[in-house]
Amino acid sequence: MGRNSLLIALRLLARNRVYAAINIGGLALGLAGCLLILGYVRYEQSYDAWLPDDDRVYQVQTILRPPGQAIVHSQASSFPLHDRLAGGFSQIETVTAVASGKTVTEHDGQPMFIDEATVDPDFFKVFALPFAQGSAAAALPDTNAIVLTESEAIRQFGTADALGKRLSLGAGPGKRDYRVSGVLRDLPRNTSLKLDLIFRRDPADIQYRGWGNFDQQHYVRLRAGASAAAVNAALPAWEKRTIAPEVIDGKPAAMADIMDFQLVPLQQVHLGAAQEAAMMPGGDPRSLVTFAIVALLILGMAVMNFVNLSTARATQRAREVALRKVLGATRRQLIVQFLGESLILAAFAMLIALTIVELATPWIAALLGADLHIHYLGKGGMLWPALGLFAATGLLGGLYPAFYLSRFQPATVLRANKSSVETPGSGRFRAALVLSQFAIAIGLIVCTSVIYSQTRYVETVDPGYRRDGLVQIANAWRFTQGSEYEAARTAMLAIPGVTSVGRTGLGLAPSDKPVRLMQPSGASGYVSMGFYGIDADFLQTMDIKLLAGRLLGDRFAGDRFSGIAPGALVSRGINVVINRSAAARLGYRAPQAAIGHVVRVAFDGWAMVPATIAGVVEDTRFRTARDAIDPIVYAYDPEHTSQVLVRYAGARPGAVMTALNKVWRKFEPEIPFEARFAEDIVNQLYAADRARTALFACFSLLAILIACLGLYSLASFATERRTKEIGIRKVLGARVRDIVRLLAWQFSKPVVLANLVAWPAAWWAMRDWLNSFDTRISLTPTPFALAGLMTLAIALATVAGQSIRVARTNPIHALRYE
Amino acid sequence: MLEMRALSRVYRTDTIETTALDAIDLDIADGEFVAVMGPSGCGKSTLLNLMGMLDSPSSGSYVFNGTEVAGLGENKLAEFRKANIGFIFQSFNLVDELSVRENVELALLYHDVPAAERKRRTDAVMDRVGIAHRARHRPSQLSGGQQQRVAVARALVAEPKLILADEPTGNLDTNHGEEVMRMLQQLNAEGSTIVMVTHSPAHADYASRVVNMLDGRILQQHRRAA
Repeated sequence: MGRNSLLIALRLLARNRVYAAINIGGLALGLAGCLLILGYVRYEQSYDAWLPDDDRVYQVQTILRPPGQAIVHSQASSFPLHDRLAGGFSQIETVTAVASGKTVTEHDGQPMFIDEATVDPDFFKVFALPFAQGSAAAALPDTNAIVLTESEAIRQFGTADALGKRLSLGAGPGKRDYRVSGVLRDLPRNTSLKLDLIFRRDPADIQYRGWGNFDQQHYVRLRAGASAAAVNAALPAWEKRTIAPEVIDGKPAAMADIMDFQLVPLQQVHLGAAQEAAMMPGGDPRSLVTFAIVALLILGMAVMNFVNLSTARATQRAREVALRKVLGATRRQLIVQFLGESLILAAFAMLIALTIVELATPWIAALLGADLHIHYLGKGGMLWPALGLFAATGLLGGLYPAFYLSRFQPATVLRANKSSVETPGSGRFRAALVLSQFAIAIGLIVCTSVIYSQTRYVETVDPGYRRDGLVQIANAWRFTQGSEYEAARTAMLAIPGVTSVGRTGLGLAPSDKPVRLMQPSGASGYVSMGFYGIDADFLQTMDIKLLAGRLLGDRFAGDRFSGIAPGALVSRGINVVINRSAAARLGYRAPQAAIGHVVRVAFDGWAMVPATIAGVVEDTRFRTARDAIDPIVYAYDPEHTSQVLVRYAGARPGAVMTALNKVWRKFEPEIPFEARFAEDIVNQLYAADRARTALFACFSLLAILIACLGLYSLASFATERRTKEIGIRKVLGARVRDIVRLLAWQFSKPVVLANLVAWPAAWWAMRDWLNSFDTRISLTPTPFALAGLMTLAIALATVAGQSIRVARTNPIHALRYE
Repeated sequence: MLEMRALSRVYRTDTIETTALDAIDLDIADGEFVAVMGPSGCGKSTLLNLMGMLDSPSSGSYVFNGTEVAGLGENKLAEFRKANIGFIFQSFNLVDELSVRENVELALLYHDVPAAERKRRTDAVMDRVGIAHRARHRPSQLSGGQQQRVAVARALVAEPKLILADEPTGNLDTNHGEEVMRMLQQLNAEGSTIVMVTHSPAHADYASRVVNMLDGRILQQHRRAA
């Protein structure tokens, strides 16, 4: 019986090659899309799972509640945890601290940065990283030792065989030689750890050891069988007992009320809510969910196609079904037969899908910057998901046709030699499936259009400063604070085209967000706002508009305050410039209203220093369009800046950059010149959004393709069935365009109706997505109308060819068909 | 073999009610060759469908070999049909994707017959109807007469007690039609009970009894001289 059914199934496919190709091809595309997304989601979920005993390693994350600010989830945690945490919890075997940063070295005469991590001696007890040379026990025996990864070793020495070699690191008085005491195997790309070079921490280097020191991350290794949930449940009480209150503004403040710690499994760090102070960029779980939904929708469309085409074509097998019933087949046997055929088609489709996945994976990996590989066996293998998808698709896709077909009654079919039978309602069901497919396609096109528009908008929206003709030099903390800065600045201003040079502690696209506690005048409560040091030229270099008052500078004695102890500043006070949002946060309805008023700012040791507002400037978007504009207080503190901004005009950008590099090399030969154009920095900020748009566009295209494949096949089947009717219409005088209009309208109806389904869903989804941006486009009817019209045009084009061909057929042939 | 009493079949749609069979009484004995004749729409094919348990009556009684089958469900009817009845259709109703051998064998696939036995019986019946030399051909490669012989072979391979033939010569030319009728006659001589619907008086002459129908009723029945 099985062999007989298989024979019929294969021979039917061979006889109807176009139908088979469309049916199998459409399903293959849907399965491929699903598998690709599955691979990407699994990859994102696999971060750090490669680490031995990863289920016992946790990151200590902090939930910060600064007054007047949104809650911050940070991967950093307080310095004292390293010595205090293990003692409070028997579940904890080891605690280690990791502080990330950059160091410099010289290679081939050129300075270069190296991403480094400074760790304590217990680091390798928590992270059992594989060594290519050396061992965990022998790595980092003292503060003169370093550990490199193989790639870093090759970069520095040209070979991974670096054990025992010496490397000179640092700049200025801090520069010294280090001994390579271990070489780690390169970490996989799916990791939240950045460990190119590892130093051993020197306790003498730590100046501030209080609970406010968040310059490191802490990781713990739990004892075997210990429960992290138990630790997390006990942490609040431990914090209250352990975290000493600070005296802020003369009053005791319970720091335990401002911060909470929790253990988060290492595998959940990448996709977790805490991305502040992350070593590596985290993933976006919301995007993953979105892509997973899209993949399921695409697969749903492909299965709908499968059901639709199988049902439409299968009515031509009514005679065979009736005959089998005549010969004694039960309905159950027929259902099993047709399900079997469906599984055969699904099997072919899965083979093609896997081929597509193999070919597309490298391209997707490059687009997303992910280390994607397809493997079939073992952990994360594709074999079981592929088999599961194949079975689900084959059964789901075959269920309706199997039940539908097996219903045919022999008497009805065989009595009138009907080779094909249309049961009432089956045409409506197929139209409903076409409607659903096009609804999904229209929805995806709307989403792509909106995402693209929003991405373009955020890249071009006025950021509050002039983006073109601006260069940012990063990692310039020695340069900005050195005694030769003024000479260097003069040299930069001498470059043709350079009009202004300024210093700041807040650069473009900053990854951190330092805030200070502040108290508006007359208020009893506190707020937290950004507080950044700048020089006199920064605001005009950025071309940030002054709204009220004046800018800061050396002309005013109260502006500059470096070198004065916080205690002395309390009586002297400082002058500051704030932005529009800060003025609003402090309660001033108009910028002018803030001028001359005083806000008290917390300095080191919680001294509250009175700061007079000398000026108010326009808001500036330094971060992405997703982040609300920060309220910022600018203080004249050039000695605490780390970035240089250079404004130029009327000169070639390349020439300006080369000249700046030359000046830099002259004044700062030991630090690499890391300069970027402001436009490039902003471009990079939205690279992930652009990649997302591209992927969405691909999926929209895929959805349209699958929908059109189904529509094409259905249209050819439907026109074939209407051949006699068309012949009769032509005999009665219908012209070609009358016939084409008749057929085209039949298939346009579900497409037009699909808009009614797609528009509300797409509007709701996009409104929700757009609300995640601080600034956004308006959701107008335009993308919806365009999507509807475009889809209709594509649908008409799909059926037009067949309609015209059939409409031109000589009616004699059509009438002889019956 | 079978007894029909007051058997009716009414087709109902939203607006129309059609009485295809109107309370007919009919008996068929073992070994008979009965021809059913009448104009188009008189209910011949409906009678055959009910007789072959392809359809269920709206009312009345149908006893087949002592079992009342009128009220049986679809699965039970399929079991009865499988065990007792072979069909020959006007339009042959062969499966285009299967070869001659596979078409004939198809009938045995629903009888749980082992593969070796299936082969033996298929070969035997193909020899019997004279189509064995075309075993690997597809139906589209055969003449009308040959296709009908394949259909006859398929009807016989399961060794049914009753053969129902619905205008078996309707799509054949005279020569092939005669060929098929001689085959049916031979089968009847060998003991098969045959009920045949036909328009052709000449072909009806092959039968031992002729039943004439009109408007869903049996007008008359007469036995032919041997």
